[in-house]
Amino acid sequence: MNVLVHLTYLGPLVAAILILFGFAPRRTAITGAVVGLISSLILFLGYDHAAGGYQFTSALALVPAWDLKFYVGVDGLNATMLFLTSLVALAAAWMSPRTEENLHRYMACVMAIAAGAAGAFASLDLFFFYAFHELALIPTFLMIGIWGSGNRQAAAWKITIYLSIGSIILLVGLIGLYLMVPDKDRTFDIVKLQAMAAHAVFTGPSANWVFLLMLFGFGTLVSLFPFHTWAPQAYAAAPVPVAMLHAGVLKKFGLYGLLRLTLPLMPEAAHNFTWLLLTLLVGNIIFVGLATINQKQLDLTLGYSSVMHMGYIFLGLATTNLIGVDGAALLMLAHGLSIAALFAISGELRKQTGTLDYRDLGGLAKSMPLLSFLFGLALYASIGLPGFANFASELLVFFGAFKTATPGAAFNGYQIATVCALWGLVISAVYMLRAYRSIFFGDRPSRWANVKDVTLGLGWPVVLLLAGLIVFGFAPQAVLQKIEPGMALFWK
Amino acid sequence: MNSAPWIILFSPLLAAAVIVIATQPFKKLSSYVSVAAVAVSLLFALTVFGSPDQDVSFNWIDLGVFQVRIGYLIDGFSKMMLLVVTGVGFLIHVYSIGYMHDDRGRSRYFAGLSLFMFSMLGIVLANNFIMMFIFWELVGVSSYILIGHWFERSSAADAANKALIVNRIGDFGFMLGILMVWSASGTVMFGELTSKWSTLGLGAGYATIAALMIFCGAVGKSAQFPLHVWLPDAMEGPTPVSALIHAATMVAAGVYMLARVYFLFAGSAAALAVVLWIGVFTSLLAALMATQQSDIKRVLAYSTLSQLGLMVSAVGLGVPVSALFHLFTHAFFKALLFLGAGSVIHSLHNEQNMWQMGGLQKKMPLTFWTFLIATLALSGCPPLAGFWSKDGIVAAAFEHNAAAGLVITVINFFTAFYMMRLFVVAFLGSARSEAAEHAHESPPVMAVPLVLLAIPSLIAGFPPVEHIFFPMAEEAGPSIPAMLVSVAVFIAGIGAGFVLYRGKNSDPVSIPLFANRFYIDQFYSVLVKWTQDALAGVAAFVDRWIIDGGLVRGLGGTTWGFGFALRFLQIGNLQAYAFLFGFGVVLLLYLILFAA
Amino acid sequence: MATLNDYLLASGLLFTVGFAGVLLRRNIIIIFMALELMLNAANLSLVGFSRFHTQAGLPDYNAQVLVFFIITVAAAEVAVGLAVIVALFRAKQTTHIENLNSLKF
Repeated sequence: MNVLVHLTYLGPLVAAILILFGFAPRRTAITGAVVGLISSLILFLGYDHAAGGYQFTSALALVPAWDLKFYVGVDGLNATMLFLTSLVALAAAWMSPRTEENLHRYMACVMAIAAGAAGAFASLDLFFFYAFHELALIPTFLMIGIWGSGNRQAAAWKITIYLSIGSIILLVGLIGLYLMVPDKDRTFDIVKLQAMAAHAVFTGPSANWVFLLMLFGFGTLVSLFPFHTWAPQAYAAAPVPVAMLHAGVLKKFGLYGLLRLTLPLMPEAAHNFTWLLLTLLVGNIIFVGLATINQKQLDLTLGYSSVMHMGYIFLGLATTNLIGVDGAALLMLAHGLSIAALFAISGELRKQTGTLDYRDLGGLAKSMPLLSFLFGLALYASIGLPGFANFASELLVFFGAFKTATPGAAFNGYQIATVCALWGLVISAVYMLRAYRSIFFGDRPSRWANVKDVTLGLGWPVVLLLAGLIVFGFAPQAVLQKIEPGMALFWK
Repeated sequence: MNSAPWIILFSPLLAAAVIVIATQPFKKLSSYVSVAAVAVSLLFALTVFGSPDQDVSFNWIDLGVFQVRIGYLIDGFSKMMLLVVTGVGFLIHVYSIGYMHDDRGRSRYFAGLSLFMFSMLGIVLANNFIMMFIFWELVGVSSYILIGHWFERSSAADAANKALIVNRIGDFGFMLGILMVWSASGTVMFGELTSKWSTLGLGAGYATIAALMIFCGAVGKSAQFPLHVWLPDAMEGPTPVSALIHAATMVAAGVYMLARVYFLFAGSAAALAVVLWIGVFTSLLAALMATQQSDIKRVLAYSTLSQLGLMVSAVGLGVPVSALFHLFTHAFFKALLFLGAGSVIHSLHNEQNMWQMGGLQKKMPLTFWTFLIATLALSGCPPLAGFWSKDGIVAAAFEHNAAAGLVITVINFFTAFYMMRLFVVAFLGSARSEAAEHAHESPPVMAVPLVLLAIPSLIAGFPPVEHIFFPMAEEAGPSIPAMLVSVAVFIAGIGAGFVLYRGKNSDPVSIPLFANRFYIDQFYSVLVKWTQDALAGVAAFVDRWIIDGGLVRGLGGTTWGFGFALRFLQIGNLQAYAFLFGFGVVLLLYLILFAA
Repeated sequence: MATLNDYLLASGLLFTVGFAGVLLRRNIIIIFMALELMLNAANLSLVGFSRFHTQAGLPDYNAQVLVFFIITVAAAEVAVGLAVIVALFRAKQTTHIENLNSLKF
């Protein structure tokens, strides 16, 4: 059974290599993604949450002197993330263009991103955790620069430099983390590191520095305010599968890292910098939210909105109690599915109309009933309406934030941030509804009279993503019960 | 555990799912599926009506330290509301078959209607705040879908957006209130809170703010000032939707919620005063606006606003049962008014301006008579339904707060006045347009619901009937002076309306302030432009030019500038490079060997 | 008897002559030859060190091994360098350094 974990990243990785060697790009990519999806689904369902801990583990010692291993395994959290990765990877592979210059390289890059993300989530070893993420980033840069649209060169440069700097800061932080362990116990093993947290290894003044390095390193990768300006441009320029995979999955790497390493290992430092995180996340929600309202193109709106929604996940993480953290973990899944669906839909829209500018579009619900229906569902999910997983998770985040309060006392920082986050829900309704209205409702300019609707044959991955959102929206417990044992180790 | 409430709740959801997934291309089938679902709900609601009270729930989310529950609370309030929602809902579903007969998007319409029924029944059954909030949001969405049914019309699309966004503003406060209540008490269950809330010993400030935040939700959903602006615009939706959602049920959810959580307000005089005066103010404002509208549906919309204000003020007066009683009777006659208006609009080929109507008495007798009954019921004509339910509120007002009682009396005068104006202009006199000349009675599928709604509009207020549906109401005994005042006000209002508007072809009174709704919408659009949109512009500017352009590009630009300056050393002379290199080595050697 | 200082002095002079050639001559082939002088200056000092840094009566062979390495690498380098110069001459018809200045800002 342990081979399943390997299949989650090997499926896409082998597919990428085979495509480069001349196998049929589309078919191979989809096969690889399906292999990943099936194995991650079995992992997710097969994870025994009553037993808890890491399961399906396997390790290959590489440098015993440094305790460096190739070590993979899952608990509820990364089983969920692997499921998200492979589901979005399949959708991204399907939504990739059928005819494109150098299609085989294109598809190989898409699969490499998926493999890198899956590998990073599956790794229980710091070294490979970091290395797999880099493996995913490089094809991301390449694809934006080569196959992107609009101002793709500038966007590719920007995301490359930005995320490289973020990764380097993170690397310094991780090295710092490694060095904080006393000489004889030094290890790359995440499980061992987590166990050390109980013995107050990661405390003292150096913990503050390492925490800040990791916060800003991971934070830059997640577009924490004010290190977010790469995201909207890059997503607007990126090819559809890249936008889906990066915004949906790869961006969650930073959050996953915070949730897996930074916060559980250094609760003291986290407590010291709560004020900083709360301030920045309010920037994510209110400032970026307002900037989103001002956007005039769907791709930029979606890019900004994905930055904004990170604020809610950060709020969940900042609470450092079980309710908020569980909510954040569920929201990672929910946001990944919904933003991937939205980018897939906007890609189809651009394919049909050639533009995403609100001023040019209008009344398309008439010619594209199915697409507008799907967009509507994704929009409802994105603005956090009940019935979708986003609602359940945001609810938990808010309750987590209020759990920190003294009953009946004046509001503390968490609660003020929650008030802002609640107002953010109004803001997100404003920009998403405006977008929906100006694209799909109202008068239809005559030039769009002959626009074709998507078919279910093409759009089924979007249906799949939305179905995931609805299933987990009606039964969030299915995910939460898997995640909870791992979380309950560190938080109450 | 009784499964009937679950069947009531989920049969409309099932219908919505079936329509979306399977029967979308078959429009007729879709409508039957939807009607069948609400019929099932109605039948089970009847069985529940006779069953004992219960409070059942299961864990929807269970984190060990925190549970979110889904369940149902069957008590007097919810039994009554279940019958109103499913009963009025059923008639309106049937009516819709006729009204939407020629519509292309009929499947979408009925799916939306079923989704709405599911959400509304969820609010009614909810036994805790979170469940109520879930369905609270869902009714907002289904209302959005149905208002925007004719999405090609820009006005409908804008109205739908406005409705959802304004409701979200209300929900912002509602959620905050729920969080405050939970944070203070550790529970969101109505049952536990009822007994626990007053014993928590919270500071008066905290309790009042929490209650007012909860009230925010009702302000949004029941369209109270200052969030009332969405309801008149919501008339862009099909008329049966206006009848069901924006008159009889959804907008009343705020009042139902307030009655349900009255324990939050009971201990706080300040909160009750705010609720009372917001309700009274809304009611007066809306009544004045209604006197100057010429769109038949808009008159009814403002009248709904006004009556909702009355119900809210009843809660503020400390008589939530009276509020619910008025909600109960209002649901029937207001639905009847809208359906009657729909019948006229349908027959006149989507003419909504009442000055283009007239002379409908002979051509549409059934609509005429039922509309008359509903008009009188709303105006407070004894002994029709509205008379009794309004009387309870007036009596309570004079008992607790004479100033409010006086204003409410004025409101009741205007109610009778504008309803008579509407009735006289739209139905009496001679036909004032081509369409009105050729009006004809609506088909039976639309006419029968009118008749069936006319019956409760006539009798729902009688004390014996009230006793069936409101066994918890205290027998206060009729207050004779209040009744006399009510009758006098009714006669004055009806008389004024009749005298002023009989035989007129255009409005003899013109008050632009009322006709333009006190310019509140204009004020809001300016406000939104100068706050939200301006801030959005500033944020986007700062994001683009200060953060991205200044900081990020600034860092990049500095690096680039250094590179630019240094490249002037690249002069192309090999020997110069060699010299610099040698010079550097010598310098380093000197520094290492001698300078130390 | 010659001391280590003498060797180093000779090596230093040789190096200076080579470096002066690199800096002052204009013909690229001459510059190349001057470069070889500098390499051999380094070799000379290495041999000198080897001779005077005895361990148990034996010279330090590490330095001599290094010298052989340098000689072989220098031979390879000469081959590559001359080939580059020939290619350069074919392209530009000159071996004068003033004319070979197109790689600049």
